Amino acid sequence: MLKYQFDWSVVTSGKYFEWLLSGLYTTIQLSVVSVILSFILGLIIAIMRMSNFKPVQWFAHGYLEFFRNTPLLVQIFFWYFGSYKILPTAINDWLNRTNFEFGAAVIALTIYTSAFIAEDIRSGVRSIPKEQLEAARSSGFSYIRSMQYIILPQAVRITIPPLINQFLNLMKNSSLAMTIGVAELTYQARQVESYTFKGFEAFTAATLVYVVLSIVITLMVTYYDKRVLSLMKAR
Amino acid sequence: MKRFIVMFVALMFVVGLCGTLFAQDRLETIKKRGALIAGVKDSTPGFGFVDEKTREIVGYDVDFVRAIANKLGVKLVLKPVTSASRMPQLIEGNIDIIAATMTKTAERAKQIDFSITYFFTGQKFITKKGTVKTLAELDGKRIGTAKGSTSEQNAAKALPKATILSFDDYPQAFLALQQGKVFAVTTDESILANILGKAPNKEQFEIPDIQISDEPYGLGIKKGEKTLVDFVNKTLLDMEKSGEAKKIFDKWFGPNSSTQLQRGNFKITADK
Repeated sequence: MLKYQFDWSVVTSGKYFEWLLSGLYTTIQLSVVSVILSFILGLIIAIMRMSNFKPVQWFAHGYLEFFRNTPLLVQIFFWYFGSYKILPTAINDWLNRTNFEFGAAVIALTIYTSAFIAEDIRSGVRSIPKEQLEAARSSGFSYIRSMQYIILPQAVRITIPPLINQFLNLMKNSSLAMTIGVAELTYQARQVESYTFKGFEAFTAATLVYVVLSIVITLMVTYYDKRVLSLMKAR
Repeated sequence: MKRFIVMFVALMFVVGLCGTLFAQDRLETIKKRGALIAGVKDSTPGFGFVDEKTREIVGYDVDFVRAIANKLGVKLVLKPVTSASRMPQLIEGNIDIIAATMTKTAERAKQIDFSITYFFTGQKFITKKGTVKTLAELDGKRIGTAKGSTSEQNAAKALPKATILSFDDYPQAFLALQQGKVFAVTTDESILANILGKAPNKEQFEIPDIQISDEPYGLGIKKGEKTLVDFVNKTLLDMEKSGEAKKIFDKWFGPNSSTQLQRGNFKITADK
């Protein structure tokens, strides 16, 4: 009946196992670098979005709408292939000597995710009673300082669970980097398939690894919810 | 759960029964049906692609299966397939024959039967003009190709120190070459020649005479259908003898075509 011969040994040891492992390493590298950068960028955009200075606010609004509403795949191609046309030759030559595939993937993932993170931070800030900002301002804090010392420390704490969800999304989205030749986990699984014809085994292994990574991240949220947030509420 | 198992077993039984009922000679089935169902590519210029004017699939592969259908006295039905779908489609019996730029490999031959070679090409490189003369000059460089292809594996073998960058398809790999992101792009010469033929700045690129593998294309037929394989092989040999095979080659790859290739010494012969 079923003619397919399962052979799990191709993904549990030897050369192909090493390929998958190196793919996992690249996926984690890509995700961690991008999530740190996108948090910083997202924070800046969120502050700009809430600023009272209209042009800055408009810029942030445009940024959010633009990058949240275009497909990530298109953005990856834009940074990798499209940037060539607008950059000067010297910079292109320099980029081509570096590992620009990884760089372009980080740029695309960072910008895309930062738009979502900015919105999460903004909703976190809005959950802090606005009287606190008024109290801070009337005590002599500037807008930036009252954000820095009073509002953001609280808002970020509330925002952590949705932020970790963004991290989860980013980790899964990083598989799109394979389209420009970044050898992450999905790329390596496909590679194993084309060498061994054992696509079922290769992709099952990759799926399991993604699931394990996701569970670890989800457990972090649960832990945070239980410990930190409940402590905050109790206070 | 028990009900599910019973249903599953019943289903398998029915499937098995159908299998035995229809297990007759494929050649007879084709004649009785009055049609040869061929799996062809529909977006590979030169081999199987949609003609802009007639909206029909045409090409080198199509002309060969058409000749076989004519010889059988049946009409030809074309079914578009991809590199990934062609073998499952054949094994499941949805198509009678594959004519889709398929290289004959030992791994594939374990699952299906191949006709004698009807097209012969080799894996080469496309580079910026004047940059490469020998294979050694390519080692250690960044080489672009497409995912899941034999080209990728051949390149990794021939150039152990090179970085192989696999893109989704060849046009992207060529774009990366144009932008200097890779040093060369590698795949079958027939595909390279076509990409070069379409490129707007083709005078800046060339295909140096460096070949790293032989790529003999064969027609794929379901395993165990000996009468059909024999019939196809005989037809191919007749086509070579009558000059029809060369005529088809010249039509798609000759000096007046957009994809110019050399047929060289290649002839369809009985030895595989």
